[in-house]
Amino acid sequence: MSADLTTARHASSDDPRVMLEEAVGVFAPIPPYPPRTEREAEFYTLGDGEMFINMGPQHPSTHGVLRVVLKIEGERVVDLDPVLGYLHRGVEKLCENADYHHTIAYTDPLEYVSALFNEWAPVMAFEKLMDVEVPRRAEYIRVLSGELNRIASHALFMGWMALDLGGLTPILWSFIERDEIVDMLASLTGQRMLFNYFRIGGVNGDLNHEFMSRLGAWMSKATSQIEANQALLNENEIFVRRMRGLGTLDREAAFRLCMTGPNIRASGVPLDMRRAHPYSVYPDLEFDIPTRQEGDCLARYLVRLDEVKQSIRIIDQCLHDMPDGPIMAKLPRLMRPRPGRAYAAVEGPRGQYATYAISDGTDQPFRMRIHDPSFVHLQAVGLLTSGNLIADTMAIMASLDPIMGGVDK
Amino acid sequence: MDSPSRTFERLTLPGKVIFTLVPILIALLAGLVMAIVLVGPFALDFLSANLPLVRFVVAATVVLLMTVPTAFLIIYMEMKVIALMNLRYGPDRVGPYGSLLSVVHGLKVLMKEDFTPTGADGIVFTWAPVVVYMASVMTLLVLPFAPGIFGVDMNIGLLYFFAMGGLGVVGLLMAGWSSFNKYSLIGGLRSAAQVVSYEIPLTLSVVGIVLLSGTLSLNKITLDQSGSLFDWYVFKQPLAFLIFMIAATAEANRTPFDLTEADSEIVAGFATEYSGMRFGFFFFAEYVNVFIVSGLAVALFMGGWNAPFDWPFPIVAQPDLAGMGVGLLLAIGLIPPLAILLLAMPFYLLNTGLRFWQALVIGFVLFNVVAVAALLGFAFISFDWVVGLLWFLMKTYGFVFLFVWMRGTLPRVRIDQLMGFAWKWLLPAALLNLFVTALAIVLVTTPR
Amino acid sequence: MDRALKRRLEARFGDRLLGPIRQRHDETEIRVAPGDVPEVMRALHDEPEFRFEALMDLCGVDTGSVMQTVYHLWSETTPDWLRVVADGLSRDDPRVPSVTFLWKGAEWQEREAYDMFGIAFEGNRDLRRIYMPPDYTSFPLRKDFFLPDDAARSPGGGVRHIEQAHAPSNATVDAQVRKAPTS
Repeated sequence: MSADLTTARHASSDDPRVMLEEAVGVFAPIPPYPPRTEREAEFYTLGDGEMFINMGPQHPSTHGVLRVVLKIEGERVVDLDPVLGYLHRGVEKLCENADYHHTIAYTDPLEYVSALFNEWAPVMAFEKLMDVEVPRRAEYIRVLSGELNRIASHALFMGWMALDLGGLTPILWSFIERDEIVDMLASLTGQRMLFNYFRIGGVNGDLNHEFMSRLGAWMSKATSQIEANQALLNENEIFVRRMRGLGTLDREAAFRLCMTGPNIRASGVPLDMRRAHPYSVYPDLEFDIPTRQEGDCLARYLVRLDEVKQSIRIIDQCLHDMPDGPIMAKLPRLMRPRPGRAYAAVEGPRGQYATYAISDGTDQPFRMRIHDPSFVHLQAVGLLTSGNLIADTMAIMASLDPIMGGVDK
Repeated sequence: MDSPSRTFERLTLPGKVIFTLVPILIALLAGLVMAIVLVGPFALDFLSANLPLVRFVVAATVVLLMTVPTAFLIIYMEMKVIALMNLRYGPDRVGPYGSLLSVVHGLKVLMKEDFTPTGADGIVFTWAPVVVYMASVMTLLVLPFAPGIFGVDMNIGLLYFFAMGGLGVVGLLMAGWSSFNKYSLIGGLRSAAQVVSYEIPLTLSVVGIVLLSGTLSLNKITLDQSGSLFDWYVFKQPLAFLIFMIAATAEANRTPFDLTEADSEIVAGFATEYSGMRFGFFFFAEYVNVFIVSGLAVALFMGGWNAPFDWPFPIVAQPDLAGMGVGLLLAIGLIPPLAILLLAMPFYLLNTGLRFWQALVIGFVLFNVVAVAALLGFAFISFDWVVGLLWFLMKTYGFVFLFVWMRGTLPRVRIDQLMGFAWKWLLPAALLNLFVTALAIVLVTTPR
Repeated sequence: MDRALKRRLEARFGDRLLGPIRQRHDETEIRVAPGDVPEVMRALHDEPEFRFEALMDLCGVDTGSVMQTVYHLWSETTPDWLRVVADGLSRDDPRVPSVTFLWKGAEWQEREAYDMFGIAFEGNRDLRRIYMPPDYTSFPLRKDFFLPDDAARSPGGGVRHIEQAHAPSNATVDAQVRKAPTS
């Protein structure tokens, strides 16, 4: 069918009527150039009764500027092809041309929902390059603020999840929590969203009174507040029925798709960088790694709920064990690490945030690879969605929780 | 150039328009007066001879006009109630507590550009909102608001109601197909599948009531429920009520069954390409539908305009105003100023900060409040249709609130769950209800 | 540093490794030729003494003289990251076999490496640009792709030449290109 249209388009391009139709997009096939790969050729060939529907880059539920081309047959999604790059900023290239300290400001806005983890990974990689010993107090502050950011991110996830399923209220309820945490972090770091707080060798500022009082007030009601918000969805029959058994990933498939974070833990793999490859002061802290065996959207949702509780536990321990001492290691202003390579990964709310840095002895990283979990997870949408309905596409995409700022680096 | 035309030239544009229009208006007015004087008596005779026709025209006009404030009210209610459930403020700028926001919405919709996308089927595209809107307005005709206050007392009222409700889907399908947009197409087809599927349990659920009351006329069904609270059909047909409410939600395309305009999936469904007043018609129709469905639920199950308990005060006879003679004129002339003064005095005397005119303004406002309250109270105890209307509207808006509440709480179901629920659960349940009702009627009424 | 892992790797892949195994902090690095990537990866993934089940990261690197693809693997059997570097890809026509037969999730990461460095992954069935527009011709993360003048620069490094963007086809690999350390 599309082949006919293509030939018609080329054969009679001097016919003004056809040209007009082409101009208004009546017969313009997607894409307007010959397919470049096997997969693209397969995708852009329509079977009987199939049609393309284009979601995004302006669409209510794509979590940013993502374009997804769906091939549908009635309500059923046959295949889909995500098209990225609408938010691409070339951060890796920018970092190669920036001072080691400057890179933090570039990586920070990559994933704007949980910015601290995108600072943490490069900072850890540079510390490895330079053999810096980070003061314990700084590590505790990093863990504390990181876990707070994780809760804020998961709170937003729950709201978005419900919004993509058509529920209006939960997102505004979860914003209560997120706002409180974000304000709290603002009093610590000076910024609400893009904190720019971690430094190579420590953190930017010590805990202050305002942060501590806000944190104390929030901690006293956090558990009950979170549970109240979650009851809105967990006990909702429609919500649970739509999520259960949808987009199931088993253990092997999760590894094959390079999943990390809550998405792989929902498939029964206790792969958590905080335990699998310990960093910072996590070996000293006591917490569980919640896992689920089902691997469906509901499991991915519930794993995140359990994680929030564990995060509160960690924050509690951090507050009890917080040592005194400096918050920055002694470092020269201008850093020239010895030539070498370092890889550092942290466990963020979406999975593994990692940085692979190569130093060539100058004050700029020679190569800085930023690994973002959203990017890896988003490609699973196509595999999980095939055969499901259009509405399930949104549910699956929301349950994988990609943030487009991180996907399009 | 002579002077009159020069004078005309000097006028501004509005001046020219007025200058041209005034003579035409005067001529028209004169013609109207002449027509009334000359043809009036015959016309009156004709109208009084065809009273049902007049009644129908009046009812149709009133119903058409009624939809606008109804939709405005429900839109405002939805905005405010959902905002409060979401812990937001909601509208709070235009009018007291933002209550005029929906009016502003209406004006905005009127002023926006009304464009037709390239490639759309122009005629079908234009008529689709009209069909949707008219289908919902026409159903209002048979809704019994109060004793004597209904458009037409059709003896097939219920059937007409469902027929008109089914007509709306034609408009949605037209909109979806003609928009030249895949989202719209999917939305239109979804609505066709959904509404057609849910018509069946919806209709079957009320057959039990038809069996009990022996009529299809909504007015008679309402009259059947008069008496005590327990004469309402909701107590005789609880299962039917449940089925009806679920199916009616789907029929009105409300959350959790609002798949036709699922914004997270297909942008705005059939209405994606619509703008301006055409979109406004869809919007209005949706909210009028909510009102209609609630009204039908009230009329069928909740006793319509019947009060849940007997009004303790006897209805007084209407006062003999004509018998008061000149006293009436005196009362109309004297009572308001005196009352205003009386009401203003306490404020003036007790609050030294107030000027006299300020106190008078307060008195005037208070007098108006008191007078309106008195009039309403008088109407309430004098005319049974006022009582009926109040009860009907109270119950109906109760149901509207229920729909809004559901929208604020529930996520959306999936299309296969929606269809499966209709065919696997609602339809058998409706049939069971019908069977049990019929069996009960046979057992009770058949003489042994 | 996991010495046991180093010994196991040396025993298993001794002749395939290009150069000694390097270990620093919690990282173990092996270098293999591009052609050996599928076999080495399959061995690392499947064999019970390694069981590197998770591909944590895949990226390309332009050292200024050659191209590399770098894989980071994770396993329960070792506390170290295993870094596999497919070294010595020519800058004119970088080619390396794909690892999508083991990790489907590597597909997009390989697409990204292709988009940014022009590395062709043989066996990846969807190797097209992922970030840049389809009609784009350059490979932005190559070292001979220079940022425009107003881009960030280091205060310590001094001012370098005026950077400019140009296609790799007419790029001259000269002293302007930053070269990786030879270690």
